[in-house]
Amino acid sequence: MKSVKKLVSIVLIIGLVTMLGAGCSSGTTKKESSSTGGLQKVTLQLKWLPQSQFMGYYVAKEKGYYEAEGIDLEILPGGSDIIPEQQVSNGVADIGVTWLSSLMKYQSQGWDLIDTAQIFQKSGMLLVSKASTGIVTPADLRGKKVSSWFGGNEYEIYALLEANGLNKDKDLTMVQQDYTMNQLINNDVDAASAMTYNEYGLLLESGLKESDLNKIDMNDAGVAMMEDCLFVSKDWIADNEDLYVRFLRASIKGWADACADPTAAGKTVYNVDQSVSLDHQIYMANEVKKLVEPAGFDAAKIGYIDMNAVQQTADLSLKYGLLTQKADLSTATVNPKYWEEATK
Amino acid sequence: MKEKMLNIIWPLGFGIAILLLWQVGFLHMIFGLKPYQLPVPTAIAITLSNNLGKALTDCVVTISGALIGMAFGSLIGFMIAAIATFFPKWGYGGMIVVSAFNAIPLVALSSIMNLWFSTGMSQKIGVVTVVCMAAMSMNAYKGLNSLKPFSVDLMHTVAASEWTIFTKLRLPNCLPNVFTALKINIATAIMAAMISEYFASSTSGLGFAIKDSLRKGEMAMGWSYIVVASLAGVILYGIIILVERNAIKWHASQK
Repeated sequence: MKSVKKLVSIVLIIGLVTMLGAGCSSGTTKKESSSTGGLQKVTLQLKWLPQSQFMGYYVAKEKGYYEAEGIDLEILPGGSDIIPEQQVSNGVADIGVTWLSSLMKYQSQGWDLIDTAQIFQKSGMLLVSKASTGIVTPADLRGKKVSSWFGGNEYEIYALLEANGLNKDKDLTMVQQDYTMNQLINNDVDAASAMTYNEYGLLLESGLKESDLNKIDMNDAGVAMMEDCLFVSKDWIADNEDLYVRFLRASIKGWADACADPTAAGKTVYNVDQSVSLDHQIYMANEVKKLVEPAGFDAAKIGYIDMNAVQQTADLSLKYGLLTQKADLSTATVNPKYWEEATK
Repeated sequence: MKEKMLNIIWPLGFGIAILLLWQVGFLHMIFGLKPYQLPVPTAIAITLSNNLGKALTDCVVTISGALIGMAFGSLIGFMIAAIATFFPKWGYGGMIVVSAFNAIPLVALSSIMNLWFSTGMSQKIGVVTVVCMAAMSMNAYKGLNSLKPFSVDLMHTVAASEWTIFTKLRLPNCLPNVFTALKINIATAIMAAMISEYFASSTSGLGFAIKDSLRKGEMAMGWSYIVVASLAGVILYGIIILVERNAIKWHASQK
């Protein structure tokens, strides 16, 4: 008799959990883009804080390019524990900005996300050290303390080390870097990761001169992986192809304007978010322009996916352990057709 | 005997049933999750066995930090309780300060300790020490002072010194409370050690491994570290319970 009662209570508990689960999950299953005042609402998840790294979207929004395409764009700032791939996959955002190498990692684990446009044509990653430590070539890193932000940002550094015959576990010490450059400034680490457009500028602003710093550029070292790209989830794009093409058209226009006048773009971003100085936003805008429109790049092709660069990112990712199997580079994972449609 | 068997079979069966429902996708169905969001138990087990060496190394780093910090914290907490017992007038103030420490958020404490200490291990020990002090000092103080009625008077009638009262009466009386504090502290210590690793510059330890795998979307890897952390916690808790059972056989809670 007693065990019957127990059984009943267990069944009841399972039933309750089931109902709870059903209640929770129904809220996130399908998200149709609702329209307000004739405009369709779209959310964009950034990879990091509002800054000139994303100036194209801010410029397009300020100049009304999205409205002209019938879009009411909401830009969601990122942060250290906000993962764009996860935000887009669970429907918090419709479109995401992330590093291609990071996106490939998610795709390889079965996440249904599609790379649709490559905003940065070059890698902005540097490994910076003080000139006094004498690190000039990657081989000089032997026995040194090297820092990275990890969480997927360490693979260009790993590739750099292994390509130069260094074992990341035995030949040097890798440590976790915070979001300031204080560890390098205070000599807690010998070499630190830095983006050309952000952390390198922070070092210069802290009073160090270019001549005090040595930098190893991932592009020169032949281990560049592609960074900022735009991606969507397979489910969302299936219902919103036309909307997405319009979003791309407005965004590319915004990026073109931003690159034509980085100073104005830096100001536009500064007006949205004052967490860093106006000077730093403008410095960043100028550096980001070099990645979006490298020398000799046709400005009309902003967002173009260079399959050779994608292939190099995939090959390096596989060779240096980010991926455990060969990346699938079919249109299910990388699809340039929306960009082609938008730039017609 | 039959009763005993049932006591084991019921929870075990329930656990296995949950694992089975998880494996066949029932949990995914009711919560609306995809396998890449919640990996199935076999995927976690395979990932863990492929990565066992690194997982165990990380586990040793985290657990040794947690245990050393817990030893320091518990010792300091007990000393404060003892001082408060001998010198009630001003000693009790120390207890209040310690319980105020307990209110510092772990995330703030971890970042602060990261600035104070240069190595990941000392940062971890620092964080764990601070969070383990309060539970021990509160519990030990209670045990040292809530004595049987008139027992202190009895000791005084035989002219026992304060020190004798402490060792013969107060110390045995507080043992059950000390074990309660240790059981609270072991869980707190492991958790604090892992959270501190989120903010450390060191790249070893379970906390860093969990954070890093989850950020990269390596869910099975993240879960395998979570399994290791939980197992370590359960084993350590079990050890304390075993010691407790033998140390205070006389106490009502152990009969």
